Amino acid sequence: MQRARRLLEEIGLQGERVQMFNLSAAMGARLAEIATQMTQQIKALGPNPLGQRQGESNTE
Amino acid sequence: MIVGEQKPLADIKKMLNGCHKVLVAGCGTCVTVCMAGGEKEVGILASSLRMAMRLDGNSMEVDEVTVQRQCEWEYIDPLADRLANYDAVLSLACGVGVQTLAQRFPKLWVLPGLNTKFMGMPTEQGVWEERCQACGQCILDQTGGICPIARCSKQLLNGPCGGSQNGKCEVNPDTPCAWQLIYDRMTALGLLDRLLQVQPPKDWSTSRDGGPRRIVRDDLRLPADYQST
Repeated sequence: MQRARRLLEEIGLQGERVQMFNLSAAMGARLAEIATQMTQQIKALGPNPLGQRQGESNTE
Repeated sequence: MIVGEQKPLADIKKMLNGCHKVLVAGCGTCVTVCMAGGEKEVGILASSLRMAMRLDGNSMEVDEVTVQRQCEWEYIDPLADRLANYDAVLSLACGVGVQTLAQRFPKLWVLPGLNTKFMGMPTEQGVWEERCQACGQCILDQTGGICPIARCSKQLLNGPCGGSQNGKCEVNPDTPCAWQLIYDRMTALGLLDRLLQVQPPKDWSTSRDGGPRRIVRDDLRLPADYQST
């Protein structure tokens, strides 16, 4: 996971966009908590700049 | 094996500046085993480059190939027709592979994607250590199979030096003292008395000091008039 995040940083994408959590199938409440937390975090980071670039080239 | 390490992406991007179409070429031998330049690493680097270039507004095309061995003509010759389509080849082989491509294809711009580090072995998962320096005159018979040329920071033939402390090297406390290892091993083998023999200065002419090296085996060479069928 550390390697994946470092790779994203090197590429120019924010490493925080990928995270890994370990939890069992019985931990539904924790899963919801993590999903909410990740959603907030990703929203704060804004859209993926690569996706934006892709959109730009598609409209050219 | 030859152990390599991928160059930082920023350095690779700088090398590829001005290229429109690039082939990332992996090698299926040593650098695959040390997880630096095999098919998997070629895929990761090519994807990283595509994303990084796109973020920079650069439309560079990046293709991928991995051959079994980049350091022999017969494995790279099948690439000949394909290579003409690229501005550059980014080789993830060791320095030998890079030079083999460059020598075989004189008009091809070949760039190194790895820093070739040393000849060594994995001592645990994710850790590689140097074991041989190719000095050209092996003395492992005298040192219990532990090489003081590659593993002693001072390359001593009659060690240890005064910097050996608690089995570690004074140059780096993470480095085991090669001579401590040699003494321990010779003791275990019951051959410690052999270390009483003082070794004379080494003839370094068989190492890099003698210039680039070459081996010629007349028993294996093909006759001058040989023609393959």
